[in-house]
Amino acid sequence: MTPRIELLRFITRKLAAALPLIFGVTLISFTLTVHFGPDPAYAMLGKNPTAADVAALQRELGQDQPFWQRYASYLHRLATLDLGHTESSGEKVRDLLGRTLPVSIRLLAPGFVLGTGLALLLAMFAAWHRGGRLDRLITGISVIGMSLSFVIIIIALQAVFGVWLGWFPVRGWEVHGPASYLAHVTIPTLAFVLASIGYNTRFFRAMLVNAMSTDHVRTARAYGASPTHIMRYHVLRGCLLPITTRIVYSVPALAISGSLLLESHFSIPGIGRVTYQAILSGDQPVLMAVVGLSAVAFALTVTVADLLCRLADPRIRLA
Amino acid sequence: MNTVRTLSVHKRPWSVVRTDHIATLVAIAYLAAALGVWLGLWADNWAEITGTMWADPSAAHWLGTNRLGQDILVRAVASTATAFEVGLAVALSSSIIGGLLGAVAGHFNGSPVDELILWLKGTIDAIPFYLLVVAIAFALQGHAMAMHLAMILAFWTTTARVVRAETIRIGQSGFIEAARAGGSTASRIIFRHLLPNLVHVLLVQATLVFVAAIKAEVVLSFLGIGVQDSISWGLMLAEAGQDIMAGQYMNFLVASLCLFGLVMAASLLADRLQDRLDPRTRHQRSVDIG
Repeated sequence: MTPRIELLRFITRKLAAALPLIFGVTLISFTLTVHFGPDPAYAMLGKNPTAADVAALQRELGQDQPFWQRYASYLHRLATLDLGHTESSGEKVRDLLGRTLPVSIRLLAPGFVLGTGLALLLAMFAAWHRGGRLDRLITGISVIGMSLSFVIIIIALQAVFGVWLGWFPVRGWEVHGPASYLAHVTIPTLAFVLASIGYNTRFFRAMLVNAMSTDHVRTARAYGASPTHIMRYHVLRGCLLPITTRIVYSVPALAISGSLLLESHFSIPGIGRVTYQAILSGDQPVLMAVVGLSAVAFALTVTVADLLCRLADPRIRLA
Repeated sequence: MNTVRTLSVHKRPWSVVRTDHIATLVAIAYLAAALGVWLGLWADNWAEITGTMWADPSAAHWLGTNRLGQDILVRAVASTATAFEVGLAVALSSSIIGGLLGAVAGHFNGSPVDELILWLKGTIDAIPFYLLVVAIAFALQGHAMAMHLAMILAFWTTTARVVRAETIRIGQSGFIEAARAGGSTASRIIFRHLLPNLVHVLLVQATLVFVAAIKAEVVLSFLGIGVQDSISWGLMLAEAGQDIMAGQYMNFLVASLCLFGLVMAASLLADRLQDRLDPRTRHQRSVDIG
C-alpha cells in the first residue's frame, strides 16, 4: 500500500470510529437531560391540570413518541443548533451560549496556556536534574499542588489579592479594554497556573525521564550537545504524542471545572455561570444544550487530536 | 531509596507502614476521627448553635465559631466521616465494577464483548466529569445519592482500563492457557485465576479513586450539588468563601488544612502502594479532577 492510501484509510477509519463515540455521548446526554428530565408539560400548564390537558400538551411537545424517535429529534436539534429558549429569561439558548462562551474563553485561555507551559518547563528542569535537589523540590511542589483542591486555591487567592491587598477586582467582569481585562483575568490565571502545576508537572516529568533514558539522548549528551538542543530535538520530539494527548484530555477536566467554579464564585457571566444557574433552577433547555454540545465537541476534539498525532508521527498504525 | 525496594513485589501492603510512618499515622488519625463520628462518640452536634457569631478560639470552642455560631472544630471532625463515606463508597463500588468489566474485557480481548465495554468506557470518558454529575443530578432530581452514583459511573473507567491491560498481560502467561485447556469455564478463570492476581492493581486504583472522590466531593459540595443534609469540608469552604469577605479566616483555614492533610496522606500512601505492589505502572495516575 502506498503511504498516501494508507493515510487516507487511517483518516476514514478514525472518522468512522468517532461515530459510535458520538452516538454514545449523545445517547447518555439525551437519556439524562431529556428522557429522565422533568416533564415540561406540567410546568407549562401551571396549577391543577387535568389528565387530558397534560396528555394533549405532551402530544403537542412530542413527549408521547417512542424513545428512539425522541432521540432522533434530539439529535436533529443538536445538529441544527435549534436549542429552544431558556426557562428563566426566555432568551434563545443559542444566543445565550454565543454571548457567554467568548467570556469563558477569554477568562480561561491565558491560564490554560501559561499553566501548561510552566508545568512543562518545570518538568524539563526536574527531568534534566533527575534525582538532584531541584528535581526533589519541583516534585515536592507538584505533590503539594496536587493535594490542594481548586476550591482552596480560589479562596486563598481571593483572600490574598482581593481582600488583604485589594490589588484586583474579585467579583464581576467589567471589561472595557486591555487594562480592565488584565485586572479581571489575573486571579483566574493564577488559580489555573497553580492547579496546572500540581496536575501536570509530575506526568510530564515521568514522560520526559522516560524519553531521556533512551540511547540516542545519551549519545547526544556524550557528543556534547547543549541541553536546549537535546531537549528540543531529541527529548520533546520523542514524547510529543503523550504530552499532546494529555493536554487535549486535560481541557475538559481543567476548563470545565475551572469555568464552573471560577465563574459561579466570582459572578463572571460566562458559560460556567450559566450552567451553574441552570443546575440550581433546573433549566432543562440550557443543560441539554451544554451537556450535549460539549460532549460532542470533546468527542470530535479527541478524534482530531488522533489524526494530528498520525500526521506528526507516521509510525502510528491503526490499532 | 531503601532496602525494601529490593524485596519481592509480593511483599504484603503493610510493609508500607514501615516506609511512610507519617502518612500512615495521619491517615489513621483521620480514620479514628471518622470512626468516632460513626459511633456517635463526638461531633454529632455539628448543626447546633453553641456560641456567638464568629467567636474567637476559646476553651469552649477550640477553633472558634462560624457565622451562625456553630463550632468549627466539631464541624471539621464531622466532615471527616463524610469524606470517608464518600471516598470508601465510591472507591469500593468503582473497583468492583471496573475490576469485573476490565477482567471480562481483557479475558475476551478483541471480541464483541470487549468492544462493547471499550465503547462504554470511551463514551463515559468523553463526557466531561462535572457535566456528567450535573446531568445525573438533574435526572435524579436532586436525589441525595446522585453525586455518589455519578462518581461511580465516571471513575470505574480508569480502573477498568488498568485491569484490562493487566488481564491481557497475565493471559499471555501459561497458567491461564493451562486452566482453559483443563476445561475451566470463563467465569472460573476470571474469578479463580485472574482476579486474585489483580488484587494489587485494584488496591492501588481504589486508593487513587478514594483521593479523587474526596476532592470531587469538595468541589461539588462547594457548588451546592454535592452532599446534602450533612456537613463536609466542601460545604465549610462554601461558607468560608463568604466569611473571608468579612475578614474571618478560621473556617477556611480549618477546612482547607483538614482536606489537604487527608488528600496528601492518601496520595503518598497510594504512591508507596504503587511503588511496592505495581512497579510497572508507576506514577501514571489519571484519576485527578479539580
